[in-house]
Amino acid sequence: MMAVTKRNILLYFRDKSALFFSLLAVIILVVLYGTFLGNLISDSLPDFLAKKWLLLSWIFAGILAVTSVTTTLGAFGTMVEDRSTEADLDFYASPIKRSSLFGGYVMSSIFVGFIMCLLVLLTANAIFFFSGDEMLTYIQLFKVVGVIGLSVISSSSMILLLVSFFKTVKAFAAASTVIGTLLGFLAGIYIPIGNLPAYLQIIIKLFPTSHSAALFRQILMEQPLQETFAQAPESAKHEFLKDMGVFYEINGSLTSPTFSVLYLIGIAVFFSILAVVLLKRKRS
Amino acid sequence: MSKIIEVHHLFKSFGAMEAVKDVSFYVEEGSLFSFLGTNGAGKSTTISILLTLLKQDAGVVKVNGLTVGKDDDAIRNEIGVVFQQSILDPLLTVKENLDYRARLYKMTKEERLAAIDRVADTVDISSIMQRRYGKLSGGQKRRVDIARGLLHQPKILLLDEPTTGLDPQNRKQIWNTILELQRKTNMTVFLTTHYIEEAANSNFVVVMKEGEIIAKGTPHYLKSQYSANRLMIIAKNPAQLRSQFQTDKLAFTEEHSTFLIQLEKTTDAIVLLAKYEELIDSFEVQKSSLDDVFIQIHNGKDDIHHDGCYEA
Ligand SMILES: Nc1ncnc2c1ncn2[C@@H]1O[C@H](COP(=O)(O)OP(=O)(O)OP(=O)(O)O)[C@@H](O)[C@H]1O
Ligand SMILES: [Mg+2]
Repeated sequence: MMAVTKRNILLYFRDKSALFFSLLAVIILVVLYGTFLGNLISDSLPDFLAKKWLLLSWIFAGILAVTSVTTTLGAFGTMVEDRSTEADLDFYASPIKRSSLFGGYVMSSIFVGFIMCLLVLLTANAIFFFSGDEMLTYIQLFKVVGVIGLSVISSSSMILLLVSFFKTVKAFAAASTVIGTLLGFLAGIYIPIGNLPAYLQIIIKLFPTSHSAALFRQILMEQPLQETFAQAPESAKHEFLKDMGVFYEINGSLTSPTFSVLYLIGIAVFFSILAVVLLKRKRS
Repeated sequence: MSKIIEVHHLFKSFGAMEAVKDVSFYVEEGSLFSFLGTNGAGKSTTISILLTLLKQDAGVVKVNGLTVGKDDDAIRNEIGVVFQQSILDPLLTVKENLDYRARLYKMTKEERLAAIDRVADTVDISSIMQRRYGKLSGGQKRRVDIARGLLHQPKILLLDEPTTGLDPQNRKQIWNTILELQRKTNMTVFLTTHYIEEAANSNFVVVMKEGEIIAKGTPHYLKSQYSANRLMIIAKNPAQLRSQFQTDKLAFTEEHSTFLIQLEKTTDAIVLLAKYEELIDSFEVQKSSLDDVFIQIHNGKDDIHHDGCYEA
């Protein structure tokens, strides 16, 4: 399994166009924030202390959530390509188990997603540093890394299932771009959940990536939130947390971090089992 | 000599398309065996079954005593394969490609490095080890493909159209590499080809058409069995020779004022030449090439399909 994993990782980083496309949604996101979304969101909020820092943290949490899905998805491109060019025949003709081969694809995309998210995290921290804001503490970094792991694993379990439907690299690339773009809406990343109609809010709350985004926000925004709402009434803070998707309101109360963590674990387990069952059935 | 590959009554269909219909043959250990056939004959399908990549609909296939479908992992250790299409990673170097493929077999790091050196030497690619596979020429790629197939020192090397798409010089070189490999290591080499001249180098040939075996034997046997020797005559006066032949009821064909007469054996020409000496301007006795034999076999088997475009 390690052989396939290492090979796939190397291929992902060597394939400049695949690398670019897997980051395309992230690039689009950054450009949108830079040009008008940032101002739009900022204008929709009243002026308060540490506003810029708070919003920057919010934005980076969203970027992390998108990255954890699109880079993982991009790395799965190797699997689609191997199948469409029949390069996978060479693996099937070798004495390795099919499960090792699939394990290799999964492991490599988890690794790729993890590394790319770490890069985003380092960039975020560097930007906090250069803009004179507080950097993340070690404990926070540790937590973020944990959430990255969780988020990447649950994404890859969903993607594994998705990937089996694509026969050509072209179709897969097109779908990846659509997914990457849609993701920003479905996880309340382009536009905060509070500004959206009720039915979209329900979809967002169900969508697994929204929970990665929420967890990232909870950690990254911890310090600026304290500064902003030090003097403010509790109700104002509650409204803000709810509208910005830091926590989701389900049945009248805000979700706990544990809920989001468990939700992501549940998704990972459910889709992994489903993928294994489908792959097994396909073989026989 | 023992039979290293045995195929009994093999069938495989893809939907309504019967790709392999009741194919039986065996390959002797250490021999060079060719599968000859045009596009869509079912060569790759048969190979895929041998490689445990496809399940047959019916029939028994044994590789080195192991049964396909039961001992698949063991069989995969016995066979090295060069696929019809390139399967290595264009973005990786030759060395990286070989290294990652070597890891698929249970080899230690030392064994891997030794194996890579060995195969690089065998197919003469030591000078291109650091180049990206995707940037290599067709001939170089093929060499690397063969090297990959040899990594685990298989008993059998399967090559699916190893020379298709190469220029004549590269074809010859690849072919020499294969021949040398087989002579030196006494490995069993099983290859498929469209090229008759390549099949002529092998110990045994099986000719396939539309999923069925239509002829098999040594190249020499096929030649003697299906050969079509002929006498070519250019007449001093074509009209006169034509009417003479007609009155003698001699079967002949005419091509651009050249007369062609089929012969059982080349020596039959002597009698004819003596008989018509006065009317002959010049003549030639042609012994058929394996190429003609191939066309003969195909046309004899099935008169409707005259798709006789065999590159040679
Ligand atoms: N996976 C498949 N699905 C459907 N039909 C197939 C499949 N694989 C092969 N065939 C069909 O089976 C027949 C035999 O194909 P095969 O690839 O074995 O031929 P071949 O002798 O290797 O030809 P070529 O010289 O072109 O490689 C062809 O008609 C082909 O279209
Ligand atoms: Mg073929």
